[in-house]
Amino acid sequence: MPVRILVVDDHPIVRHGLRTLLGGRPEWEIIDEAEDGIEAVEKADRLKPDVVVLDVSMPRMDGLEACRRIRKNVPKSEVLIVTQDDSPQMMREALGAGARGYIVKSDAARDLLAALEAVSQHKPFIAQNRGQVGDSE
Amino acid sequence: MKLRILIADDHEVVRRGLCTLLQTHEGWEVCGEAKDGREAVEKAKQVRPDVVILDVGMPNLNGLAATRQLLQQNPQQKVIVLTITDSDHVIREALDAGARGFVLKSDAARDLISAVEALQHNRMFFTPRVNDMVLAGFLDRGHNGSNGESPKLPTLTPREREVIQLLAEGKSSKEVACLLNLSTKTAETHRSNIMRKLAFTRSGI
Repeated sequence: MPVRILVVDDHPIVRHGLRTLLGGRPEWEIIDEAEDGIEAVEKADRLKPDVVVLDVSMPRMDGLEACRRIRKNVPKSEVLIVTQDDSPQMMREALGAGARGYIVKSDAARDLLAALEAVSQHKPFIAQNRGQVGDSE
Repeated sequence: MKLRILIADDHEVVRRGLCTLLQTHEGWEVCGEAKDGREAVEKAKQVRPDVVILDVGMPNLNGLAATRQLLQQNPQQKVIVLTITDSDHVIREALDAGARGFVLKSDAARDLISAVEALQHNRMFFTPRVNDMVLAGFLDRGHNGSNGESPKLPTLTPREREVIQLLAEGKSSKEVACLLNLSTKTAETHRSNIMRKLAFTRSGI
């Protein structure tokens, strides 16, 4: 069964890029996109994706709040945070909000596939210090 | 003959998005990619693109400084600046640097094709909401002689702007010298000139 993915970012050009990067794997299916946290929560409720690839900085509702709500409403949906902010604090907040994975946008091309693979199997994936990447399990 | 486009953005995910978008247009090809302004200037020398699309916020050499260098290298070079901010300051800097297109990243999926088409036909392109702001700004200046904007850094030379970006990114004078092919002493002279000029600016406010 394919891994069903919801891609969330307020910039369509980034969503295009994420689609392109994820598109190489036939077992992954991008089922929809959302452009802010509210839309992400609504679509996750309705579509129940396996993984939500979630930006943090978005209008109306940010990715951290969206993550908390998605994890509460649809516990089976895992969240992979893809953010511009590579601070340890952001990483802690993302994990505290219930995200299973955390990667930095500037390294997304390098980390996204491995992160999605881990998260889709309910394993954590943390990009560490933009250079060392590890599966913390 | 295909229209050849060079794209520069420090985020590969954005470059992938730009490539996907631009390559859907028949007759266009992405002939090169760069991850910062310096690489864009170098690649433009090698691949001689018809259009360069430059992100503003890039490390090493930002998109505005790169625009200046590209135009210096080839005064006919067509440049589109891509930015996350539509602040008056950035728009003015982009125009001043010689960019013929200005597109907000948030609107890129909608506007970038139109922008490249405009430049292809020797026209300019500005994201619609920027157009209004630019016009209002110029009209306002026409009436008042000044628009009351925050002061720019007019006394910094293009080289000093390059140096200040690298210093602001935490690089040492030695690293700056190495990146810009200067002697450490020259880099330090630039550094002290910058400090002197900015100090004058601050004390003048």
